[in-house]
Amino acid sequence: MSVLRFDNVSKQYPGGHVALADVSFEVQPGEMLFVTGHSGAGKSTLLKLIHLAERPSRGAVLFGERNLHKVRGRRVPLHRREVGVVFQDHRLLHDRSVYENVALPLILRGLRRGDIGKRVRSVLERLGLAARERALPSQLSAGEQQRVGIARAMVAEPALLVADEPTGNLDPTLSAEIMALFAALPERGTSVLVASHDLNLVKRMKKRVLVLDHGQLADDIAPEDLADA
Amino acid sequence: MPERNTTARPASRIVTWFDHHLYSFVASLGRIARRPWATALTVGVMAVALALPLGLWLVLNNVARFSGDVQRSREISVFLKPEIDVARAQGLATTLRARADIGAVDVRTPAQGLAQLRAQGLGTAIDAVGDNPLPSVLVVTPRGDETLLATSLEHLPEADLVQHDALWRQRLDQWLRFGTRVALVLATLLGLGALLVVGNTVRLDIQARREEIGVLQHLGASDGFIRRPFLYLGAWYGLAAGALALGLLTAAWWALQAPLAELAASYGSRFMLVGVDPVQAAWVLGGATVLGWLGAGIVTGHTLRQTRPTEA
Repeated sequence: MSVLRFDNVSKQYPGGHVALADVSFEVQPGEMLFVTGHSGAGKSTLLKLIHLAERPSRGAVLFGERNLHKVRGRRVPLHRREVGVVFQDHRLLHDRSVYENVALPLILRGLRRGDIGKRVRSVLERLGLAARERALPSQLSAGEQQRVGIARAMVAEPALLVADEPTGNLDPTLSAEIMALFAALPERGTSVLVASHDLNLVKRMKKRVLVLDHGQLADDIAPEDLADA
Repeated sequence: MPERNTTARPASRIVTWFDHHLYSFVASLGRIARRPWATALTVGVMAVALALPLGLWLVLNNVARFSGDVQRSREISVFLKPEIDVARAQGLATTLRARADIGAVDVRTPAQGLAQLRAQGLGTAIDAVGDNPLPSVLVVTPRGDETLLATSLEHLPEADLVQHDALWRQRLDQWLRFGTRVALVLATLLGLGALLVVGNTVRLDIQARREEIGVLQHLGASDGFIRRPFLYLGAWYGLAAGALALGLLTAAWWALQAPLAELAASYGSRFMLVGVDPVQAAWVLGGATVLGWLGAGIVTGHTLRQTRPTEA
């Protein structure tokens, strides 16, 4: 069964702007793929639909067997706990330490304190942040902050991790480093969907690419076809 | 939900509930510690807003005691005819005590009246009159409507004169009732003011933390999880403001107690200003804490409904 499925999804905002038009695709467990396209192509809207920050005007978004259209009210936070999100601007809590930021999704899930400590330290270790667990975000470099954001998104081992322009503010070296972290996640069973307008970076990763153009799915390129794209 | 392997299990609901409250408890204390001056100002404003109705309540408390003193001095004096001797006066008193509208009857004999006058330095004048000219007096404490009782006593064949200052007592009662009502209205308004102060402070705090709230909502925090630190914050504000308000009232009590006692003593009264006792203080602290919690809850609920994300 797929982790995520878009069935003829359209999204029209109040005012008439069509952000997505009849988009269909599936994401398999442990798969990493990119969504790319120019600014305004519909990448962010697509991520918002997955994260229930928006709802489709037509069609269905399925997370596993769950039709997200039917998730309402108090069930929305429960859905969000199952999807890891990485933002371009990190969105860390500035008055909490690295450890506290990363622990938040686990606290929300109600894990035991001992388990939280083990998981957070394990993730920080993997992301090279173990020595910085007591630091505040303001004491970190941009790359470190983004790594904390990724640690926070992956610590709860979500079935799906979505990232919105996660390397937008980073230099090429750091961008490659961050992408390598994402690429390692499918090995642990997490599917990864990254929205990026950086075509060179996307091509280098050699993963499946969805190309959006004016809200339509213009292309769905398999990794092996990337060289020709 | 797609299946994932996970090694950690969620804690029980009670442990989770406790952990979330502990998290909010610590987070709220952290917010206070990071902004000591802003916190002090908020608590100060709230304390004054609480001290005013509490002060009025204390005034009411003391007025009620004073009013009680007045009620106790509502006796009706029935001066009996000169020919009524003490034995007959005692008999009449026994008869009157059986009436439902009478609480008590004291007999003041002519000899007792004379002794009282001598004690007041009028002995020489009395001696000049010769025989004791004073009548027996019945001092009647009413149980119900004193005016009706006084009228009834005037019709006793043994009564020569009935002394009852009903009018000024009625007016005093009316003033006291009016004062009580004014104080209650002011206390309610000022209590509402304290609630609004907490609400507004928490609203500003929420505004300043809008981004953080957005992040928490994206991570899947429930409204309850987001609201809780603000509720604790409101409760802390309320508790601290209640304590400070009690301190202000105690200081006012210390400042007023001695001069008021001296003033009362100059009128022959032992009236003493009563402050807040420990049980009342506990109620004030509890009430202020609940007030802070409520104010924070109302504003946070309203703000969260407005900030529920459709994406920042």
